[in-house]
Amino acid sequence: MSETTTERHICANCGYIYDPAAGDPMNSVPPGTAFSDLPEAWVCPMCYASTDQFDLLD
Amino acid sequence: MKPSVASLYQAVELQQEIPPLLIGERANANGSKKFRELLLADDYESCLKIAVEQEQKGAHIIDLCTAYAGRDEMADLTTLVRLCAGGLKAPLMIDSTTPEVIEACLRIYPGRAIVNSINLEDGGVNIRRVCRAAKKYGAAVVALTIDERGMAMSADDKLRVARAIHTIAVDECGLRPEDLLFDCLTFTVGSGDNTLRDAALQTLEGIRRIKAELPGCLSVLGVSNISFGLAPAARRILNSVFLHEAVAAGLDAAIVDAARVLPLARISTEDRQVCLDLLHNRQVAGEKDPLMRFIDHFSTASNTAEDEEQESTRPPEQQLFHKVLNGDKDGLEDLLAILRERFRPIDIINQILVPAMRHVGELFGKGEILLPFVLQSAEVMKGSVTLLEPFMDRTDGGSATRILLATVQGDVHDIGKNLVDIILSNNGYTVYNLGIKVPAETVIEKARELRVDLVGLSGLLVKSAIVMQESLPQYRDAGLTVPVLLGGAALTPKFVAESCVPNYPGPVVYCSDAFAGLKAVREFEEGRLQSTRYDSAVAVQPMKPGVRDAVVERSNPVPEPPFIGRRYVQDIDPEALFPLVNTQALFRGRWGYRRGKMSAQEYRQLIDGTVHPLYQDLQHRAVAAGWIQPRVSYGYFRCHSRENDLHVEAEGREYVFTFPRQGEPPFLCIADYFKSAEEGGDVAGFFVVTIGALIGEETARLYRENAYHDYLMLHGFSVEVTDALAEYWHAVMRRELGIGAALGDVQDAVTQQYQGSRYGFGYPACPDLDVHRPLFEFLKPETIGVTLTENMQMVPEQTTSAIVVHHPQAKYFAV
Repeated sequence: MSETTTERHICANCGYIYDPAAGDPMNSVPPGTAFSDLPEAWVCPMCYASTDQFDLLD
Repeated sequence: MKPSVASLYQAVELQQEIPPLLIGERANANGSKKFRELLLADDYESCLKIAVEQEQKGAHIIDLCTAYAGRDEMADLTTLVRLCAGGLKAPLMIDSTTPEVIEACLRIYPGRAIVNSINLEDGGVNIRRVCRAAKKYGAAVVALTIDERGMAMSADDKLRVARAIHTIAVDECGLRPEDLLFDCLTFTVGSGDNTLRDAALQTLEGIRRIKAELPGCLSVLGVSNISFGLAPAARRILNSVFLHEAVAAGLDAAIVDAARVLPLARISTEDRQVCLDLLHNRQVAGEKDPLMRFIDHFSTASNTAEDEEQESTRPPEQQLFHKVLNGDKDGLEDLLAILRERFRPIDIINQILVPAMRHVGELFGKGEILLPFVLQSAEVMKGSVTLLEPFMDRTDGGSATRILLATVQGDVHDIGKNLVDIILSNNGYTVYNLGIKVPAETVIEKARELRVDLVGLSGLLVKSAIVMQESLPQYRDAGLTVPVLLGGAALTPKFVAESCVPNYPGPVVYCSDAFAGLKAVREFEEGRLQSTRYDSAVAVQPMKPGVRDAVVERSNPVPEPPFIGRRYVQDIDPEALFPLVNTQALFRGRWGYRRGKMSAQEYRQLIDGTVHPLYQDLQHRAVAAGWIQPRVSYGYFRCHSRENDLHVEAEGREYVFTFPRQGEPPFLCIADYFKSAEEGGDVAGFFVVTIGALIGEETARLYRENAYHDYLMLHGFSVEVTDALAEYWHAVMRRELGIGAALGDVQDAVTQQYQGSRYGFGYPACPDLDVHRPLFEFLKPETIGVTLTENMQMVPEQTTSAIVVHHPQAKYFAV
């Protein structure tokens, strides 16, 4: 896997961490999905913040 | 176990998750004039203060060195080690070359220290004695690559000496490889000496090879040696760039002045390039050598790291511009007095201060500076204007665009509106801030009376968005036509365009934050402000995450609560809440310390050096001043569900909570998680928790006093501590219900790694605040000082309410 496909991102609003290894079952996102490949309409499964509210964590 | 050192208070890993480990260098009689003078005056307490200050600036370890001609090193260093052992959280680095002194210090230090340092200068005498002492007292050791021939200059020699030391320390004296921190001792690249042109490269290569060939060993470096002989401002930049390079080469720890490490993002691309060319000795055909280019560049460039000497040679108007830019209030009065001799006050504002704030706004827009720094800049602007006002004519500034701001009726949240006020008023606009809970009639009356050019409305919750929507026809009927700007967490461009714009003749504009508000005001001045538009054909509808199970299990057991009815709790220690504060949400979300364009290392330095100390200071002050008064009204009640309703028995009466149901699959509703009467009924928990009104009063005081930065910090802190109290009390209730183990960490709480859920009223699973009406009737939180506004919001603001659901499938969802 390239670097971007494993990079975790953290929600600045609530602290939820999107980890590509786990995906996001709450939004039906399968494991292995890079943050940059999330659908445009994707929001934080915990607080509904949009992707621009996320910071690169690693 | 990861190699660590420790003080009485804490263990610190030598290999930080994001390197380097920062070792503070200022408590050194040879390196710091200030420290030396204090030592010469026998002022040990003040020496300790220098150590503590470095810790506050982000140093993980404090180097302590008292060796100075004419002083009794044994007495000085042992005294200070004792003082530091009790007064310093960071572990110590005992910096001495005298084995007796090292042994004495290790004997009295109640933690695991690092010894700085050993070498092979004397052919191997002292090193054995110090290593045996280190072995005996369990210390780590810094090893300098020096032997009888002197300091090793080439990477080959550095590795050769390191190997020799390794043999003695590990094979002979029994230290473990991870007890050794090799210091490759860099030479300066600033001397112009031909033999030292590649000094940085040799050091970087030395680090790489030692780490590769002596596995397990660590590396450390006194970074500032790289720039000896160069100008102070340029040194700071070169040191920071070199540190970054060294970490990339594998450096674990750096001996630095922690306060003077610059994040790479604050160094311009040109500055960085000139530094890299010098460090890597890059010759460019047709140009001067890299050292001359470096010196030329920093003698003319206006670099980001302004130093004081350079500062005072700038023209005063530029100094003021930079003070705004850097959020620096020192000496403002003198500087403005000088400027007033040459400019009218209104020109100082319009020609210097406003352009400076505009520049700050642009930097924020590009992600180059963060909100807290914008607020510090605004404080300089505000402080300047306050100092200039006595010298201004009444008519000055009368032509500025006038904006009315208000938080709508029934809404107590004012942070968003106040941030808009700060940004607009400090960009030269005239702002009339009417406060919170402002009725539409008052907005209309004041808008006419003050002849404002725009109206800005704010409100946090879903209910406030509805209030905005409903007040626009009132404004229209009253004859208002000025543009209306709308802001608030529950608003979306879609809602504004479809539900607000059609009800008003003038432009109605959605503003996502204070800077969007500033942009809208500028567009208004340029005559091109337009209503928010929303094209549903191209717009993306956000997803609705949540539980996917359509079938809610009916056979789950109903837990037996320890009591039925209401109870009050007032004896919660505020300190118990701090471990549950969601610091990620606080630092990044509430405070705006986003990572932006920073590297992981730079961001870590910002958090460790600036943000975390600020947070700890707030904790101490909040506890000392009694600002946090946790109080809880809660209880367990028999209940049963019927479709969307939850019927709750309390005090011999039945209260009905009507919860909304999702309009699409899986069509969830909070009531679904409770058993019906036919199924035997159920138990629901409820709580209202507050940290009291004091912290809100203190926050309001900071705002009144134009302490914008501290205002944002304390407000964010109060909100997150309130949430921590809710998290804390939810855990107590799970325990009382017998459905919860010990508290997990904050991340577990964020992702609901526990049985059941708590649904906050006013939030996505239950946006409607009307459920507060029955809740307040039987929880009676008035007893703990909580009341409701006319549209069901709780006062004080630092209060939160929830229904506690025990059903294992219950998790967050949005209706």
